[in-house]
Amino acid sequence: MGHALLFQGIVGLSEAMYLWLVAAGLSLIFGVLRVLNFAHGGLYMLGAYFAFAVSRASGGSFWMALLVGPLLVAAVGWVMEFGFLRRVYRAEVSVQLLLTFAFVLIFDDLVKLVFGPVYQSPPTPAALSGAVSIGGSVLPVYHLFILGVGVLVGLGLWVFLERTRFGLVIRATAADREMACALGVRSSRLFTWVFVLGAWLAGLGGALSMPVRAISPGMGEFIIIEAFVVVVLGGLGSLRGAFLGAVLIGLLHAYGILFLPVFELALAYVAMAAVLVVRPWGLFGVRET
Amino acid sequence: MAPRRGTTRRDFLKTSALAAAGLGLAPGLLRAAELKLKKPIKIGCQTILSGPLGGYGEFMRKGTVLAQEEINGHGGIGGSPIELNFRDEELKVDVGVKNARYFVQDWGADFLIGIDSSAVALAVGEIMPSLDRILIVTHGATEKFNEDLVYKKHIKQCFRVCVPVYQDGIASAFIAKDLPVKRWATISPDYEYGRTSWKMFRATLKKLKPDVEFVGESFAKFGTVDFSSHISKVMGLAPEGIFSTEWGGEAVTMIKQAKLFKVFEQTKAFMVAMGSAMDVLQGLGADYPDGIWASGRYYFGYPDTPENKRFVETFRKRWDTYPSYPSETSYTALYAIKKAVEKAGTLDIDPVIRALEGLELSRPAGPCVIRKEDHQAVYAVPWGRIKHDPKYPMPILGDLRIAPTSEYYRHPPFPPVEV
Repeated sequence: MGHALLFQGIVGLSEAMYLWLVAAGLSLIFGVLRVLNFAHGGLYMLGAYFAFAVSRASGGSFWMALLVGPLLVAAVGWVMEFGFLRRVYRAEVSVQLLLTFAFVLIFDDLVKLVFGPVYQSPPTPAALSGAVSIGGSVLPVYHLFILGVGVLVGLGLWVFLERTRFGLVIRATAADREMACALGVRSSRLFTWVFVLGAWLAGLGGALSMPVRAISPGMGEFIIIEAFVVVVLGGLGSLRGAFLGAVLIGLLHAYGILFLPVFELALAYVAMAAVLVVRPWGLFGVRET
Repeated sequence: MAPRRGTTRRDFLKTSALAAAGLGLAPGLLRAAELKLKKPIKIGCQTILSGPLGGYGEFMRKGTVLAQEEINGHGGIGGSPIELNFRDEELKVDVGVKNARYFVQDWGADFLIGIDSSAVALAVGEIMPSLDRILIVTHGATEKFNEDLVYKKHIKQCFRVCVPVYQDGIASAFIAKDLPVKRWATISPDYEYGRTSWKMFRATLKKLKPDVEFVGESFAKFGTVDFSSHISKVMGLAPEGIFSTEWGGEAVTMIKQAKLFKVFEQTKAFMVAMGSAMDVLQGLGADYPDGIWASGRYYFGYPDTPENKRFVETFRKRWDTYPSYPSETSYTALYAIKKAVEKAGTLDIDPVIRALEGLELSRPAGPCVIRKEDHQAVYAVPWGRIKHDPKYPMPILGDLRIAPTSEYYRHPPFPPVEV
């Protein structure tokens, strides 16, 4: 029993990493830009499709796809922020939501036009399609790989935000936008780069899912809902909250399937509701004063 | 006229007539008598056209449009052309019901076809008497549709031209009984279809092979993007065989991930009831493991008849892809409507219902009769094993096995399924 518990936990954690990458970008963008980016699931989808296209163009190179795919999504993020979003920062929240929602629909239809409505599923790279045995249970190497990438990205973001000057500026702006501007932070340029970074993270999540999940138009719809739950649970704008929120949801999901299958669907929402009742600003969010 | 030319023309006519005979194309070739029906005949179609299962609905649309073009090119239905309208069902009950009401009340539909979700099929079926139109389901597979709605509740407006869940839950057991597997488990969708199939599979297999055991189940919600937790749960129970009714993109993801977890090395058999659908064959492509048992509601390689060959060829010419099963069932739905309306000589609901009852069709999937008692089309669909053949751009089925329809279709009075 102990073994089954541990193993299911590892599987749950690896599933949580995709969610973490998407939620990290979502949370970062909200924290600094104060925009809830509905199109974040669409960026995750674009990550998968761009990686797929790069892999096809480069003769099936997964590493090339993993490198270039998310960068292309970052470029799309730049266009979104520079061309559209910055025009609505002062507008009502509903206008921002409508604009980002429009991108969801546009992205879905664009990939349908370019790649067709069929499912794509390029083979898993040979180097990562093996498996290891953990006490008799078989765990795919890919799942270990995704765990490693998730943790590395987490560490990288931490170092970037806590130990670099640019990170300091981002944190300052997230904490108090007016004060940061008064001190000479060029917020418009900062906003663009934060959005680009957020888009890159979503694209990375999508690119990583490319060889192990079926790619299809609309694939971002399901992950975005869970990512919102994660971000609300962890606290809007908190990266630490997003990481722990994703881990929590991943584990609830995996153990829910094991022990409470009938109730599994509701677990994530129950957890969110419970946190909201006790700490409306989320586990690691900042209380609005 | 030179005798030679005459022969060619007669040959041509003979082949066309043969190919089209049962589907009612032949009267079309000879220009069906004008029935003086109102023009055009409107058919409202709904299927899943968005999200991760949207690739599936696209095949339904292609089959419907192909039938429309053929029928309209040969004089329509009794002289009236068919007009189509497509709406996204989204697999949601409220959306499906809203679509049905829109089609009839706002758009003026004469017939409704389509529907992928069992729950939507049941909900729309219930309101057909009040809408006073005929519904022909082309995919939603719950046995409650024909057994409860039509047979027990006498909702005569409901018909279905695809094999119901008997294919997934009963024909599968006829295959499973010959496999060297005693311990079975399932990973299936967490709704009506997935649960009923598993129940029928267990009930049937237990009767055919009493020493089997059912060691575990994991039901995945609609919209599952990762099956890892389901796979690890089920593999922890050490099954020898896995039965699944996942479909569309979810089947693609599940099979890919099962491969990563080395499930095919650790089990003796893996059955995917919807695994021979074209979207799954194309989606997995070279990654589809050999030897998986798969079926659907029609497979393009069966039967070896002129009707089927002609259908596959024209479909490929029109759409540049092989047909999937919703293509065949929706194509057949349109020909069933044509044949019944021409037989009834009117669009009035009651005479057309009577014409559809007992209607015989030689559809691409083979000879078929629509049972009068429960309005269910009866025809056989094979199970087979996935194999790769360089002649085809996607994996295909080999080792085809067909259970007789007399054995795997449930019959009135439909006793309850007991496990």
